[in-house]
Amino acid sequence: MERVKIIRYSPWLVHFNTGACNGCDIEVLASITPHYDPERFGVRLAPSVRHGDVLVVTGVVTKKAAERLKRLYEQMPEPKFVVAVGACALSGGVFQGSYPVVGGADKVVKVDVYVPGCPPRPEAILEGIIKLLKKLEGGDGDEPKPG
Amino acid sequence: MSQSLVESLKEYVVKSYAMKPNRLVIEVEASKVREVFVKLAEVLGKESFYLATIEGTDLPEKKLIRIDYFINLFKHDAYLVLRAYLPRENPVVPSVIDLIPGALAGELETHDLLGVLFEGNTYLRRSFFVPEDISSKGIYPLRKDSGV
Ligand code: SF4
Repeated sequence: MERVKIIRYSPWLVHFNTGACNGCDIEVLASITPHYDPERFGVRLAPSVRHGDVLVVTGVVTKKAAERLKRLYEQMPEPKFVVAVGACALSGGVFQGSYPVVGGADKVVKVDVYVPGCPPRPEAILEGIIKLLKKLEGGDGDEPKPG
Repeated sequence: MSQSLVESLKEYVVKSYAMKPNRLVIEVEASKVREVFVKLAEVLGKESFYLATIEGTDLPEKKLIRIDYFINLFKHDAYLVLRAYLPRENPVVPSVIDLIPGALAGELETHDLLGVLFEGNTYLRRSFFVPEDISSKGIYPLRKDSGV
């Protein structure tokens, strides 16, 4: 998997809001500002979904957004990964059970990393992406255990 | 500002009161909504206000649907809320999209969620926001007895 190796050095993000309250989106935007300096990990936004490696999904997936999420995912080149950000993208959060929603992002696409929080802090979002990269290196994404 | 505005719309005003500072509510007859917008454009000038959003509220105990037009008045740095009550059984109000094209989203949303009929809006349709499986059953989700 030579391409996986390349992604490890510069994962390009595609951010898609499937029905968030915008709280998570603001945190995702915050996490790609110079203050948090995501480029030290090679992380930046992809100019087009067709250049993206990591799909960052925020918000509950609404019935209408579900089709779009699937279509976006299909347009991304392999290998591709999904990071679900926020309680809504994990399980539906506060919108769970409401009439227009399908549920969490994993109802539609395969999710690799879940970042909990409502909304998660930018540090947590970046940590999620780093864990994904560590996972690609063969680990389980966790820090080495002491001792 | 509020006094002069109420004065110039006086033939339409049913009631007027402040919702909060810089947010005046003027209640009008539902059938006169379009005329009020024509008058507003005359009094304030077409370029000095814009329709920010249209909000519908279901009031089942009163058998009414309340509809609020939030209008931003640039020159006065204030909001005007044009409020009308429609019968819940037959909520019809004249459309304003021929005067204000930006009203399209607000009218479609209020129609889709509450079943308000904007007379004269030829773009009116279901499933603007509401998913097909709900709208195809004729359910208006923001009606408090919709069951969804
Ligand atoms: S997890 Fe919280 S902040 Fe994020 S979209 Fe849901 S409600 Fe909004």
